[in-house]
Parts: sequence; C-alpha cells; structure tokens
Amino acid sequence: MFVLLLLCAIPAYLLASAASLPFAGQSPDWARLGILFGGSLRATLCALVFAVPVGIAAALFAAHFCAPRLRGWLRAALELLEAVPTVVLGLIAFASIAPWLATHVAGVVVACVVAPCALFAWGLATRTPRRRLGWMPLWGVPLVVAALVAGVVLGAGIDGTRFVPASPWNTLLVGLVLGVATLPTVYAMADDALAALPSAQTQAALALGATRWQALVTVALPAAMSGLIAAVCMAAARCFGETMIVLMASGNTPLGGFDWLGGLRSLSAELALELPRSAPSGAAWRELLLVALLLLATTMLLHAVARVMRTRLRARQVA
Amino acid sequence: MSRARNESAGVALLGGAAACCVGVVVALAAWLAVAGFAPFWPTSVVEVSLRDGAVVLGERVAQFDDAQVLRTSEIERIGGAYRRLRPDDIVSTALPRDVLAIELADGRRLFARDAGDAAALLAAAGAIESDVVERVAPNALGFGSRCMLFVKRVARFVAGAPDTSNISGGVLPALIGTLTLVLLMSVLAMPLGVATAMFLHQRRGAYARALRSAIDMLAGMPAILYGVLGLGLFVHGLGARVDAWFFADRLPVPTFGSGGLLWAAATLALLTLPVVVVSVERGLAGIPASLREGSLALGATREETMWRLLLPLARPAILGGFALAIARAAGSVAPLMLVGVVKLAPALPFDAHFPYFHPSAQFMHLGFSVYDASMASPDALRGVPRAYACAALLVLIVLTLNLSALVLRNRLRARQRMLEPA
Repeated sequence: MFVLLLLCAIPAYLLASAASLPFAGQSPDWARLGILFGGSLRATLCALVFAVPVGIAAALFAAHFCAPRLRGWLRAALELLEAVPTVVLGLIAFASIAPWLATHVAGVVVACVVAPCALFAWGLATRTPRRRLGWMPLWGVPLVVAALVAGVVLGAGIDGTRFVPASPWNTLLVGLVLGVATLPTVYAMADDALAALPSAQTQAALALGATRWQALVTVALPAAMSGLIAAVCMAAARCFGETMIVLMASGNTPLGGFDWLGGLRSLSAELALELPRSAPSGAAWRELLLVALLLLATTMLLHAVARVMRTRLRARQVA
Repeated sequence: MSRARNESAGVALLGGAAACCVGVVVALAAWLAVAGFAPFWPTSVVEVSLRDGAVVLGERVAQFDDAQVLRTSEIERIGGAYRRLRPDDIVSTALPRDVLAIELADGRRLFARDAGDAAALLAAAGAIESDVVERVAPNALGFGSRCMLFVKRVARFVAGAPDTSNISGGVLPALIGTLTLVLLMSVLAMPLGVATAMFLHQRRGAYARALRSAIDMLAGMPAILYGVLGLGLFVHGLGARVDAWFFADRLPVPTFGSGGLLWAAATLALLTLPVVVVSVERGLAGIPASLREGSLALGATREETMWRLLLPLARPAILGGFALAIARAAGSVAPLMLVGVVKLAPALPFDAHFPYFHPSAQFMHLGFSVYDASMASPDALRGVPRAYACAALLVLIVLTLNLSALVLRNRLRARQRMLEPA
C-alpha cells in the first residue's frame, strides 16, 4: 500500500526535481514557452466555443425534456464517442476535414450562425406535442443537418478574402475536432450536475404552475450553475492536455498571436515531438521538463477550480 | 409573441443541440466504417487513351477538381508510378474486361492487358511467380466475387506482415504489439488497482484521503505527461540502472535503457490505475452494508469478509474496470510515442528463442500506425487509406471492450437490485 502512495507521489516528485535542476548559465526561452502556452490556450478556447454550448444545451434537454428511454441511449452514445481514440479523430481532421475546410471557412462560420437561428425560427413557427418533442434528438438530426448544409451553401456565396486560412491545418480545425472530442466530457458532467439536483425543487416549481421551461431556467439552472462551470473547467483541462488531435491537426507551427485561422503548436505537441529526440539532462531536456511542468500546473489549476465548484454544488444540495 | 411560443423555440434550440450530438456520433461511425473498409474493396482498372497517343492502364486513386490521379504499373518501386491526368489530356476512358491486376509481396501493383503482358511486366519488375500475392481480373468480377476478394484482403490486412517499408501489407505486428502491451499493462495495473480500491473501501483516515486525492490527480493528468514520466523515470532512470547492473557487458548499447514494451506497459499501467480504482471502488460501495454486517456478525473476520464475500460480489465491477482500462490503454498513443513505440518492428515480442518473451523489445502499435501512416508515409495516396483501415480496426477493438464494460455494468446493477433488502 505504501508503494502506491510513492507511485502517486512520483509525478509531483519528478516535475519538482525538474524545476529545481539548475539552468547552467542560461535562462530558459520564456518567449517560446509563452508561444506554446498561447497555442494550447487558443486550441482550448476554440474547442470550448464549439463544445460548451452544444454539450450543455444537450444536457439541459436530456434532463428536462427528453424521453426517459432515449436519455440512457444518448448517454451511452456519447460515452462511446468518448471511447474513440483521439488519434482517430486526429486522422479524420488531418486527412478528411482539413482539405474541405480550407475552402469552406466562410460556410462553416455562416452555418454556425444560421443553424441555431433556423432552429429557433422553426420552434417559433411550429408547435410540437410534448411526447414527440422528447424524441427530438433522433428526428431532429435531419433538421440540424439541413440547417447546417444550408448555412454552408449560403456561406459559399460569400466572397471573403478574410476567410482564407493561412494553412489547411489551423486553429479552427483543431477547435472543431477537439470540440467533438470534449463534447462527451461536457455533456456527462453537466448531466451529472443536473441529475444530482433534488427533484423536489423542480417538482415544486411545476406544482406552483411554472412551465417546464420556467422550471428549468428559474430553478434548475441557477442551482446547477456551479456544476456546469465545473463541467466547463474539466473540458478545458482535457483540451489543454490533449495531444494527438493537436499534433495532427494544428500544423505544429510555433506562431504567436490570436489568429483563429493560423497554425499553432501546443505544449503537449512540443513534448511529443521534441522529447524523443533530446538527450536526458541536456539543456533541451530541461526546457521540455519546464514545458511539462507548465502543462501540469495549468491542468491541475483547472481541476482544482472544477473541484471547488463541485464541492459548492454538493453543499447546495445538502442545504 | 406569446411566451409559450418563445419557450417552444428555446426547447427546439436545446433539442437541436442534442440532435447535433447524435448526428456527430452517427456521422463519425458511418465515416469510419466507409473510409476504413473502402481501401479493401476491389476497384476497377481503367484504360485511358491520352491526347499524345499513349494508352495508360491503372486504377484511379484520387479525384480533384482539375485532375485525376492514376496508379499505373509500379515497376521500379512502390508509390513510384502515379500519373496526374487533366481532363483535356484524356481522349477516352475504357474498362476492358480482361485486364489483370497483380499485387506483389512488397506491395507493388502491376496492371497487364493479358497473360503475356503480365509475364513481361513481372520480368521487368524483377519479380518471380512466387512473389505474386494476388492476381485478379477486377473488371470481370461480379459482385459476389468482389465480396470474396474484399474478405480475403481484410484477412490479409489483419493477419499479414507489413512490407519492408511499412507502406502496405498487413498489420499483424502492430495488432500483436497492441494486444501484448495491453495485456502486460493489465497484469501490472489490475492487482494494484484492486488492492487500492479494497484499501480505500475499508479505511477512512487522513492517509486514505491523501491517496484518494492522489488518484484524482492521476486521473486528471494529461496522457502525454505519463509519457514524460515514463521516459524520465522508467527509461532513463530505472532502465539505465538495470542496464548498469545486469547488462553491463552490452553497454553502451542499451537493453532496458531505451524505450520498450515493459516501460510502455508500466506507463500505461499508471495511466489506467485511476480508472480501475474508481470503478472497483464504486462496485464495492454498491454492495449493501447489511451483507457485510451480516458476515461480520456471523463471526467472519474482516479479511474473510473481504475475500469471500465482497470481492466475489464485486466481480462484475472488477471486470468492468478491466475492460475500461484496456479500452483506455489501447486508445492512448501520445505517451507511447515517448516510451518505445516504433514505425516498424517486424519481429514479434515473443518467439522461439530463450527467454521466449522480450519485454525490452521495441514494438509496433495500431494507434501509432494510424499517426505514422497518415503523417509520415512516403506514399501519401496509400498512407491515408491505410491509416483509416488501422483506425477502423483500432476503434473496433476499443468499442468492443467498452461495450462489454457497459454490459457488465448493467448486469452488476441488476444483480445489486436483487440483493437489496425488500
């Protein structure tokens, strides 16, 4: 048993020892470190832009409007998505999406705006009976696909020189695919947070005459808010440490700035590319351990925030 | 506009997001199935007459807006005979029925008009009859025989050896490497994980709390950091020490001091430990307290209760954790890139020479093959389809394991519902 504690202490020990290694006369290349950190950050933010709205909205739907039988299936499907090795997603991004995306950036942007608007308008125009609405995740698929395709077609008409990416492997591509990869994380954690709420509160709201939507927005959402923030933090931590997708889809060019159509190089990709080539205890090795340390610190920070938020959620439930 | 309408629009938006999730999953599965198995489907051989009078025989491998790419007979080397044809170069295209497509053991493909032509091509390619792996007339094949050929090609891919440059051929070493790695990993991780879960289940102290947060931390660490750990600690630390003590006669050639199967398995064991611990502990926690108390009341010691009662009851949870751990290990590639996975290692990790199993050997891995074939293949038009085929195989393995974990979990739930006092 004591062996195990040692084992768990290893990461902390190794990285601490790496940090305490003396830098022989030369200070580490902080500018490069900053660029790598910026690359990871850009990829993470871009991924969250896609994953968070979709994942949380899907979880809200599942918790309040979904047919109960479908809810289990939805969860299982997303768990299977989580199980897909990220190298496979990286392959799809690198080989299949990148060439298409290079000429359809404007289409994707327009589709991301048009599809929600179209769904909203469709919801305004029609009234769906509640029982059928519960199965919307299934029969809504063609609807969403149609809205997205319409957006892409509309966007193709735009002649935008601003929408020409510098390289086919860019931040937008990384964000899209990394967003798909973290969608299950966001969904599962948000779903857990919503499911953990005492149902008495929602039922009381319904009994007092609130509609389901009102019960969701005024009762469940504020109560689950810290859980949802925890979900976002966990997803961010996962994106930040993700290696294969970023390695394959980002082009691995160490560029600074916040160009969402430019390439990037992340901390994790730097480790995967450079570490096998560097000799142990050389200068490059030490710099790479610094990169690892930075990566560890950031993910641990995000995890700590998520943990605090979850503790809050639990305290609220007890109250 | 009424409030009800606004609300129905909001719900439609949420439902659309849920539909989006389903759509992504379905699209991914469909795309993988199509792209993963398409490389094995026998394609037709076309005969293209060009404007300059030449006639080219080959298979179409890529189609662009302004041109198509034809793979013609690869007489000199694999991937050395692509022709890029523009529409205005082409006079006519035909599908002659008697064309032969020949595949050699080193992956080269030859296209001949008839048997005599085939013999001449083989001689030019420096190949003899026994080098021929596949010889068919693809244009004359019916649907049934195309299916047969498809199955045969899939079997050759799964159970065959790669060619010398890993551009084409089978993936058996990668498959065996993946499976051996994962088995070795579970031998290391399972006892430790189950023991830890048992410990955590029984104790509530500062030590248990520290252990729990350490496991939480391990679970949240990015996979690549495990690779850093494995390289720094196992390979350069432990491995160099082992070399200095036991294999000093072979130095400076490293035995355990470079990446290999054992260190990769140890790295993955660390990576999957939290998965095992969490899932086994959950299984133990789900056992009704009345059973445990009853056992203790009947005079069993705590150890007897643990071994005879709780562990057998938690067996589905242990198996479920095992399957999840394997799935996670089989799918993680990033740490392996640092601790000994290589592009090509045709020798399997076990053979007929003493000690029969070589834990220090470098190995191939399906996930790394996906990365390598797509990013670093010298022949991109073969590399990407090959990467997709590897990816489909990998996903098939991982999903099978995950589904079995799901089924086990459901069985566990049903069983525990039975145990609950009425």
